[in-house]
This record gives sequence, C-alpha cells and structure tokens, in this order.
Amino acid sequence: MTRFQRFPVAPTGLVLFWRAAAIAVAGVIVACALALSGRNPFELAGLVIHSTVGSRFGLEDLALFMTPLVLTGAAVTLTRCIGLWNIGGEGQFYLGAVGAAGVGLYVSGPPILILPLMAVAAMVCGALWILVPALARAWINVNEIITTLLLNFVAGFLVYWLATGPWRDRVTGALVSTGRLPVAIPEMWGAVHYGFPVSLLVVCALAGLLRRTVWGYEVRISGANPGAARYAGIPMRWRIIVVMLISGALAALAGMFEVAGTVHRMQGGMANNFGYLGIVVAVLARGSCMAVIPAALLVAFILDAGIVLQTQQLAATTVLAITGLVLLLIAIADELAHYRPVGGIGQGKASA
Amino acid sequence: MVEATGVPAGLEPGTPPVLRLAGISKYFPGVIANEAVDLEVWPGEILALLGENGAGKSTLMNVVTGIYQPEAGEIVMDGYGVNFATPQDAIRAGIGMVHQHFRLVPAFTVAENIHLGWEDTPRNASAAVMETRTRELSEKFGFPVDPKARVADLSAGEQQRVEILRVLSRQARLLILDEPTAVLTPEEAGELFRSLRAFRARGNAVILISHKLDEVMDISDRVTVLRGGRNAGSFETKACSPSMLAATMVGREIVRRDLRVRPPGAASVSATPVLGLSGAGVRDGRGVMTLKDVTLELYGGEILGVAGVAGNGQRELTELLTGLATPDEGRVLIDGQVASPGAAAFAHAGVGHIPQDRLHSALAPSLGVTDNMVLREYSQRPIGTGPFYDAAEARSLAATIADIAEVRVPGFEMPVRNLSGGNQQRLVARREMRISSKALVAAYPSRGLDIGAIATMHRYFADLRDSGVGVIVISEDLEELLNLSDRVAVLCAGRLMDVLSAEDASIERIGMLMGGKVGHMPGVQG
Ligand SMILES: Nc1ncnc2c1ncn2[C@@H]1O[C@H](COP(=O)(O)OP(=O)(O)OP(=O)(O)O)[C@@H](O)[C@H]1O
Ligand SMILES: [Mg+2]
Repeated sequence: MTRFQRFPVAPTGLVLFWRAAAIAVAGVIVACALALSGRNPFELAGLVIHSTVGSRFGLEDLALFMTPLVLTGAAVTLTRCIGLWNIGGEGQFYLGAVGAAGVGLYVSGPPILILPLMAVAAMVCGALWILVPALARAWINVNEIITTLLLNFVAGFLVYWLATGPWRDRVTGALVSTGRLPVAIPEMWGAVHYGFPVSLLVVCALAGLLRRTVWGYEVRISGANPGAARYAGIPMRWRIIVVMLISGALAALAGMFEVAGTVHRMQGGMANNFGYLGIVVAVLARGSCMAVIPAALLVAFILDAGIVLQTQQLAATTVLAITGLVLLLIAIADELAHYRPVGGIGQGKASA
Repeated sequence: MVEATGVPAGLEPGTPPVLRLAGISKYFPGVIANEAVDLEVWPGEILALLGENGAGKSTLMNVVTGIYQPEAGEIVMDGYGVNFATPQDAIRAGIGMVHQHFRLVPAFTVAENIHLGWEDTPRNASAAVMETRTRELSEKFGFPVDPKARVADLSAGEQQRVEILRVLSRQARLLILDEPTAVLTPEEAGELFRSLRAFRARGNAVILISHKLDEVMDISDRVTVLRGGRNAGSFETKACSPSMLAATMVGREIVRRDLRVRPPGAASVSATPVLGLSGAGVRDGRGVMTLKDVTLELYGGEILGVAGVAGNGQRELTELLTGLATPDEGRVLIDGQVASPGAAAFAHAGVGHIPQDRLHSALAPSLGVTDNMVLREYSQRPIGTGPFYDAAEARSLAATIADIAEVRVPGFEMPVRNLSGGNQQRLVARREMRISSKALVAAYPSRGLDIGAIATMHRYFADLRDSGVGVIVISEDLEELLNLSDRVAVLCAGRLMDVLSAEDASIERIGMLMGGKVGHMPGVQG
C-alpha cells in the first residue's frame, strides 16, 4: 500500500522540484488574472522573458538587481543562524552608502586604493549602525526586530538630509543627490560591475565560515538552544554581537556596491527596499547560505518583471501581489517537500 | 453499536467501555510507533499504560486525543466509532489530556489559563468573574488552586493541578495523564492520587502513563503494557507484581547486579579528592543564600549520592560543580586546585555533566544527532583544528557514540528531538562519559527513564567508577542512591546536613536528615 508520510527533513531535490512547480503555478495564475483583465498574457510573458533572461540587457539588469539582494539576503540568513532577525538591512544599506559616498566624494587617490577604502568605510558604518541593537540584544535582551527596524527610518532620513544638504550636488545644483562619485567599480560585462562576482564570493565565504569553522558550529548551537550553549560554555553574547555586526556590514556592502557600481551617486530612497527584500530572500533560502544565490535570482526576476509590467501600464502594486503569491506558493511547496510516498513498512522497529 | 466484551464486575451488563481502541497503528519514518494496538478503558477505573522508553505510549495517546491521525484502526467511545480531526474534537467528546510537558501560559493567572480557549468562557468576562468561576470549579472538582496566582510563580505540582482543572472543567470523562509524577515531590504525588481516586469514584475513567511500578500497583485497577509499539498484554493490577510487569515491558527478566560490588581489577578510591567544594555558598537574585557553606569532597573511583527533596540546593550544587555558576562564597576545587571558571573549562578539565532536563540544556533539540553529539569535543582534534571544523570527523564521532550507547539512529541529520526520551538520555550519558576523565556530575539521571534504561545508566556509572572516575549522582529516589553510592550526602534548605557512608545510610536516617530540623518546612529559607 502506498501512503504519503511527512518526513522531518525535506531533501533538497524535492524542495527544488516543488518550488519549480510552485513558480509554474504562480505563472499560470498571474497569466489567468492578466487574461481576465483583458490583457494578452502571452504577449506580456514574451515581453517579460525578453527583457529578463531573453536578452543581454535583461541579463545585465538581473545581475544588477541580484548583487544587493544576495548581500542583504545573506545578512538576514546569518542572523537567522543564531536565532535572530536583522530587519534593519535597509538602514545598514543606507549607512553603507553614506560611508562609501563620504570616502568617494571627499578622499582623493587612485581607485585601486579608494575602492577598498570605500568598502571598508561602508562596512564599518553598517556595523556601527547595528552596534546598539546588538549590544542591547546581547546584554539586556532587547528584541532586535524592533530596534533594527526603527533605525531604518532614521537612516533613510539621514541619507535624504546628507544628499540634499551638506553633500548636495553643487555642480548641477539638482538638489536631489550628491554629485557623481569620481571613482566607480569597474564594469566587467556591460553594465554589470565587479560587485556581482564579489557578492557571490562573499556568500560562499560565509557558507564556509558557518559550516567549516568552530565559530560557525558555536553560532549554530547558540541559535538552536541558548540553554545548550550555556551548558557547553559557549560565550553566547560575543557570538551574538559578532554575528550582528557582520550582518550589518554585509548589508552595508550592498549599499557601497549600489553607490559605487550602479547609481554612482548617493540619493534619498536609493535602498529601493533591497534591505526588506533581503528578508524575503532569506526566507526563500531556508537558512542555507548557498541557497541565498538562487533565492536572490528569483526575487531579482520578480522585481525586473514588475518593472516591465509597469511599462505596460500595470499598477506597481501588481509586483507586490505577485511577490506575495510566489511566497505563498513556495511556502506550500516547502511543506509538500516533506512528504514522500512510503511503500511497505517494517524496515524499522520501535526501539528502546 | 460495537459490542463490548468482558464487562468488568460492578458494571451493568451491556455497558460499553468509555474508550476502546481497535487495531490502532501509527508510523513515523523508519519507526513503527504503534502497531495494531487494542485497548479498553471502562467507566470507574484507572488504567495504567506501561512500556519502555520509545514503546509508543505518548504517540498512542496523541492519536486518541486527535493530535496524530492513525494509519489504521478504530477509536470507539461509549460504543460509537469516532474520528478526531483535531484535539478540539477530542475535548468536545470528553477526553482531556495532561501532557508530559505543561502547556500553560506562564505570564497569565490561573483563572486566565483555565478560561483560555474555552467555549463556555463568558464574553468580556472580567478578571473577578473568571476568578469566581475558577474558585467554584476548583471546589467542585476538589483540585485546590489560587485563581489569582500567576502560573510562572507556581511549583510543578501546582501547575499540574491547574492543567488538570483546565481539562476537567471542559467536562472530561476520560482523563489522560502522561508521566504526571515525574516532576512531583512524593507529597504532591500523594495529593494527585487522592484527587484521581475521587474522580474515579464519580464514574469517570483515567489513563495514567508512568514508569514507576510501585505507584502503578498502588493506584491502578488494570494495566496495559506496550512493547515495541504493540500491546504486550492487559492485566488486572491485583494479579500483577512489579517484577512480572517489568518483565512484560522489556520482554525478558531484568537481572539486577549489585552495583556496589567492584569487579576484580577495578580502580581503588583515590587518595586525594578529584572535585570538591570548600565553604561554598550561592546567593540568588534577591540576595537569599540558596546554598550555604557546603564543604564536600569527591574522590576518584567512588560514587557519591546526593539526597534531598528537590529545590533544596541541588540545582546550585550542580551548577557549582560543573562550572555553570561561580560561588558567591568559598571555592570550587578540581584536583585540589581552585578551578578556573566557566563550563567549558570544567569540561576541559575532565568534569562531565548530565543535567536535569536534557532537552533544554544538554541538547539542541532542533539540530541533528551529529551536531548534538560533538557538543563536548568540537573544538578538539580531530574535529576542531585551530579555527576549522571537520564535518566528516564530527559525523564519525557521532556514529561512535551512538554505537557504544546502543542507540539505533535512523539518520544522523535527523533532529534529536525525534528520538525517544530514553535514547536521548543514553546518548547524552555516553557523550559525557567520554570527557569525564576526573568526575561526572549526574542530576536526576533516571527521570523519565524506564527500568531497563535506568539499569543501563547505573551500569555506566559503575563502569566509570571502576575506571577511577568520581561520580556524583543527585536523586530524590533513595533506593537508587542506596543501590549505587559509596557515600550519601544529604541536602536540606541549601545546607549539607551530613555525609553518610553506605554502611550507616538507611532510608530512615536519610529521610530524617532530608526533613532538616524538626518543625522546619523542607524548602529553601533565608
Ligand atoms: N514526531 C516524530 N517523528 C519521528 N519519530 C517519532 C516522533 N515522535 C515519536 N517518534 C518515535 O516513535 C517512537 C515512540 O515514541 P513515544 O514518544 O510514543 O514513546 P514513549 O513510549 O512515550 O517513550 P517515553 O517513555 O520515553 O516518553 C520512538 O521511537 C520515537 O523516536
Ligand atoms: Mg512519552
């Protein structure tokens, strides 16, 4: 007799299979909705494919969207490993932009020195931005979700103020952004700059750090059961602080890449929700660092598709609706991946 | 109507059992938790459900209360087939269950917990209304509780009364208790049994899961034994003896070796203590001394029992001896030297620790078996080399530990919480024994274990002792202590009353010391 049974561990292959099915179903549902509202879904689908994976420009766009998403997604995934949520990716992204733009605008030198300096300044700013929430979490147990979230708004206003105030563009006097940075991350393939491969390498390094170091093991135990960490004598406070600081630095690096690679100036609202979308990426990646890369690709695709649909006079909220639909179906797919058919039983016995 | 067979004497012919299970099967991956289980409970009886760890007792009761759906079989209540899709359905049908781990909201008062998620709770009920209702319920069912108290402030026994009252107030006619006495003091257990007898006298039924055979002999009318997920027999309690029940559970006779006799070649007791406290005291958050001026020495090659009513300083003592806490007064000595502080340093110095609640401190339940088995050795070669962690070596260490612990692990990536309580305890014990080159501190090691697993655990301790390691066993079970220990220390109200040698120790003598001075309530006082 064949029955379906829920297994505690979902094998990756099955997860991928069901997620592919979920995305296909989401596509069909979106197509039906578009058809019902009098659009030609095939024409729109063709357009979306052409302007994402179907053309050189589309691929470049995907890579540009992916770069910050990979980093902000990794930032959230890292804190999940120790059982925390960094909801402040957006703010740390902004602070990264501030650090990078500050160095880029006001320190002169050869790009080979200035670019690494910008990255370091950005990461330090991002880490400082999360320092207070990290200390509060580690020492007085203040919920990090609230503290990191609130700082996002502060960071957003800080960037507006800098970009339209002290650091405003005095050349064009446009009053919306800083001037163009004199240095830029070199481009490697069309508009795609070296930030893209670097962000992928950073995620691989992070995966290695978590899986292949004693520190990573200690983080895993601390996240799974603080009681066991205390029992084993793991200094959990320090693990929390370091994890949160690295997380802030990762999101800030995304901000630096955006400023120095894509936008070339700092302006208000430039984080573009990349910080929040990092949470989506992390949820899709189910706590696995390497899975952040395909998850970021998927979110980048949805973002890109949304922009294409907007050019076809579809409301911007459509993108949100599609993201929600994909997330819902993927959650269902993840649950389904726990089920496998079992034939006869009797391979095991209840043991003492 | 399903025909009822064998109506017990005292019930009218034709009375159906309150609950009848027919051929219930429930499977987990690679595990048959229940296979074709038949079981009956009649009105006005207490049925004890016995079985080894992992025999499938909790699983079977979770099937009855709608938490799990059975793969096969039938549930019949009062002669009618039923099918519980959710726990709420089972509650509506009059089945109430009190789980192994309490499910109350600690921040709520007793009255709020009783009324939470209850269809009969009046809309917009004020705190006063709920408290009055709770008081009435408490009087009606004979379970005294304080409606205003916050659950977080209650003792284990009081919390359990709230759980039971919560279940009874929903008109339960069948009460299921999963190892209710594991966390109770003997007095609290006595009170519970009095209330259960009153509940039975009103024509209701009880299913009681327990590992304590004397308690089962005392309170139950009939016994059903599960073995390897199958029903190994149902008996009238009057026709049973503890040893016969134990043999039915395990499927063979349990031979008890006298553990105090050392085999030839065993290490002798060391000349100097391996672990000790000198004038040690601990203050709690409010500045009250919970452990006062304790001087205690553990020698290599001996087993030192620590007796006392729970809550008289055992937790503080364990934490001091394992480096989890530093003394506010006095010193902790390893090999005569003041120990460097920290749990990791103690483990490194060769002090192992089997803590009281393994699921909350010794294990990370959601992580795999491998991650849990390397918790003590992850930073040492061959697993940890400098900053690097070798996953393949970790896996092989986990396999080694599972092997010597004789635990069959279906998958090393499987969350350790899916193992039965007994298997978790064996793995923790074996993991800790590996690092215990000097001493092992075991707190309530047999809590929740079946008799077979307890015997195995005791054999482990004796083996450690024979290899020259000092073992401290903290327990409330005096028989266990007397069977094992070379010396017995007695704690009362945070003070070390005395340390008796095995020859001088008797249950009566220890019992008197545990009670402290006459006229004193056993409990921690400032
Ligand atoms: N959710 C689960 N997933 C996989 N296996 C499980 C799960 N729950 C229980 N098991 C397995 O089913 C078997 C029966 O477990 P159960 O908890 O019913 O035992 P028990 O008789 O209550 O034991 P104990 O006396 O230790 O509480 C065990 O082998 C256990 O490992
Ligand atoms: Mg159980």
